[in-house]
Amino acid sequence: MAKHLVQIIIMGTQVVVKAFARALRQEIAASQAAAHKTGGGARGTQHVAANYKTGISLEEALQILNVERVDQVDAIERNYKYLMEVNDRSKGGSFYIQSKIVRAKERIDEELKTMKTPPPNSNSKQQNASKQL
Amino acid sequence: MPHLSQRMAEAYKNVPKLNSQTLANSKYYKGGFEPKMTRREASLILDISPTASKVKVKQQFKKIMAVNHPDKGGSPYIAAKINEAKDLLEK
Repeated sequence: MAKHLVQIIIMGTQVVVKAFARALRQEIAASQAAAHKTGGGARGTQHVAANYKTGISLEEALQILNVERVDQVDAIERNYKYLMEVNDRSKGGSFYIQSKIVRAKERIDEELKTMKTPPPNSNSKQQNASKQL
Repeated sequence: MPHLSQRMAEAYKNVPKLNSQTLANSKYYKGGFEPKMTRREASLILDISPTASKVKVKQQFKKIMAVNHPDKGGSPYIAAKINEAKDLLEK
């Protein structure tokens, strides 16, 4: 009796461990695919991190402010000001829409900040290389 | 394990900082639009109650759409969201 009981417990544990390992593999593959989609490497990781931190993707942020690229600084500033004004709550606008405009601007500002500072990993690699030389 | 302290320092550096700008913006709703629109989001977009009447929805839609119309310099993406919100609430 005890022998069968032990066997059942072992089999049960094996099933759980296998399922967990498979889930973990899928999770890793999914996160790698997400990083790869944004260009991969340190830049891609940074991009995903910024998306996560602000809770809004760069693509959506650009769509909200009606521009195509982050370097259209003037158009971004102009559209941001205009959209914030027409959607102002004191003029009967929707506070929710205004919030999304603020977050879109935040996300683009974040992107401009990371574009100016090189990704930390490649920087340290360069430092290491220069040390070796 | 020798890199643990270094990793910790790096992680600490990446913790979102509480600067004046994030504090000033903290009153706004977080993140972007939801991947799939819900009744809750639709009512927030049109700034009405989720149980508002169809007449009220139409009225508010006209008002919000008028200022956000792409022809008047509004964003087509936001206009699409407003349309989607109206369609969902009118159902």
